[in-house]
Amino acid sequence: MQLFGQILVNGILLGGLYGLMGLGMGLVWGVLKIVNLAHGALIMLGGYALYYLYTKAGIDPFLGLPLAMVAMFVLGYVLQTALLNLIVRSAQLNTLLLTFGLDVVFVYMAQLLFSADFRTINPPYAGKNVTISGVVVPYAQFGAFLVALVLAGLLFLVLDKTRTGRAIRATAQNLIAARLYGVNPKRIYAITFGTGAALAGAAGGLYGIVSQITPYIGVTLTAKSFVIAILGGLDKPLGVIGGGLVLGIAEAMAALYLDPTYTDIISFGLLVLVLVARPAQLLGRA
Amino acid sequence: MNRYRWLALPIAAAALAVVPWVTSDTIVQYGINALLVATLAQAWNIIGGFSGYPSFGNSVFYGLGTYGTAIAMAQLHWSFGSGLVFGAVLGVACALLFGIPILRLRGPYFAIATLGLAAVMSAITATVEIAGKNIGLILPLFRGDTLFYELSLILLVAATGTVAWIARSRFGAGLVAIREDEDAAQVMGINTTTYKVAALTVAALFSALAGGIHAYWITFIDPASAFDPSLNVRMVIMTLFGGPGTVLGPVLGALILSAVSEVLASQATGVASLFYGIVIVAAVLLMPKGLLDLVQGFRDSGWRYFVDNVRRYRI
Repeated sequence: MQLFGQILVNGILLGGLYGLMGLGMGLVWGVLKIVNLAHGALIMLGGYALYYLYTKAGIDPFLGLPLAMVAMFVLGYVLQTALLNLIVRSAQLNTLLLTFGLDVVFVYMAQLLFSADFRTINPPYAGKNVTISGVVVPYAQFGAFLVALVLAGLLFLVLDKTRTGRAIRATAQNLIAARLYGVNPKRIYAITFGTGAALAGAAGGLYGIVSQITPYIGVTLTAKSFVIAILGGLDKPLGVIGGGLVLGIAEAMAALYLDPTYTDIISFGLLVLVLVARPAQLLGRA
Repeated sequence: MNRYRWLALPIAAAALAVVPWVTSDTIVQYGINALLVATLAQAWNIIGGFSGYPSFGNSVFYGLGTYGTAIAMAQLHWSFGSGLVFGAVLGVACALLFGIPILRLRGPYFAIATLGLAAVMSAITATVEIAGKNIGLILPLFRGDTLFYELSLILLVAATGTVAWIARSRFGAGLVAIREDEDAAQVMGINTTTYKVAALTVAALFSALAGGIHAYWITFIDPASAFDPSLNVRMVIMTLFGGPGTVLGPVLGALILSAVSEVLASQATGVASLFYGIVIVAAVLLMPKGLLDLVQGFRDSGWRYFVDNVRRYRI
C-alpha cells in the first residue's frame, strides 16, 4: 500500500510537469490551428537555457525560470512573425511540415552548440526530500509541480481577464469576427505562439531539474504533449493539467505493475484509444 | 514531341536498369537506398498525396515487411520469395485491421494516431520472442547488390505504374474527391471508408515489399531501425518536395533529395539532417504544392510565382 502511495505521488508530480508541456501545445493548437511538431524542441531549448543560466551565471533554477521563459517568448514571437504567419492559411499538412523542419533545425543546432551529453540542472537541494507518512516527496519535484500549477492558473487568468487574453480567445473562435472588432491577428498569433514557447521553455527547465536533457528529448515529449492536450481539451488550461496528471499516473502505474518498457505502449495506446473511441465529444470545443 | 512523351518513362527505367553494369559498387548501393525510399515515397503518395490523409504510420508497414521477411528467413528458414510474401501479408493485414478505425479520424488527429501506432508497434516488436526482442534478427548473408538493385527498380516501377493507373481511374478520382471535401464525396455516393482503406492497403503493400527487400539486403534489423519514424518523415518530405498527388513528383523528389543529402553526408556528417530541416522549411514557404507545380507555375508567371504563393497563404 505504501508502495502504491509512493507511485501515485510520483505519478502526480510527473503529471503536473506533463500538464505544463501540454499547455503550450494546446494553446497554439487551439488558437492558431497549428499542431506544433517543434514543441518538444522548444521544451529542449528551454531546458538548455535554464541549464546555462544556472551553470554559467549561477542563478537558482527556480529564480532563473522567468528569464528562460522571456527568452523563449522572444524566440516564439520571432518565429511566428518571420515564418509561421506566412503559411498559416495553407493546408494543415504544410504547417505540420514547417514545424517539423524547425524541429530538425533546432535539434541539429542544439547538438552542435550544446553537445549530445546528458545534462541535469543540479541545485544544492536537488537530492533533499521530506517523508510524509512513509511517502517520499523530493523538494525539487514538488517545486516543479507547484510551478506548473501556478503557470496554468496564470494562463487561465490571463486568457479570462485581460484584454489580450480576450483577443486571443476571440481569434481562436472566429478570426474574421475578431478582425472586424479591431484585433490584429498577426500580433495575436505572434503573442500566442510566444506564450506557447515560453510555457514549453518553463516545462523544459523544470524537466532539466527533475530529469536529464539531451538534444533528442523533443520527439517523445512532442507526442506526449499532444496526447495531454487532447486528453485535457485544447482551450481549458486546467483541463490540460488534468490530462497531464492522467498520463503521469498511468505511466507510473504501468512501470510498477507491468514493466518499464511498457510506459510508451501505455501512453500511445491510450492516445490511439482515446482518439478512436470518442474524438467528436473530446474535441467539441476545440 | 508530346506524342512521344510516354516513351520517356520506359527509357528512363531502362537507363536506370543498366546502372549496375556501368558504374561502381558505391553508386549501386546508394541506388538501392534511393530506389527503395522512392518506392516508399510513391506508396505514401497514394494515401497522403491522393486521399490527403497525412499518414505517419507507413513506417509501420515498412517495419512489418522488414520483420515478416526476417522472421520467415531467419527463424523459419523460408526462402526469400516466401519471406517477402509473408512480410507483405503482415503489412496488408495491419492496414486492413487498423485502417478502418483510424481512417475515421481526420487531419492532425489521424496523423498523430498513426504516429502512436508506429510507437506501439515498435515497442511491441521489442517484446516478442520470435522477433528477437530488443536485439533484432540476423538474416542469412547474400551478396548480390545487382539483384537487390534490379528488384528495387522493379518495385519502384510497379508502384509508379500503380499510381499512374490510380491517377486516371475512377478510384483515383474518388480519392481526390475525398481529399478536397470528404463530406461532399460521401454525398456524391463514394463509399469513403472502402476507398480510404483500399488506398492505405495498396500503400501498405508497396511499403512492406520495400521493407522486405531492404531487410535481406542489409541482413540485420532491430526494432529501432525497422520502425524508425524519421523514415516516414522522409517519405512525406520527398513526396511534398516533388509534388503530392502527381505520378512522377514523389519519384523525382526522392531521387533528387537522396542525391543531395548523400553528397552532403559525404562532405560533413550531421549536416545532412540540418539540410533536411532547411529544405522542408524553404519548400513549404516557397513551393507549397511541390516541384512539379513550381515548374508549371514558374513557366506561367516567373518569379511572381513565389510572391503569389506567400501572398495566398500568409495571414
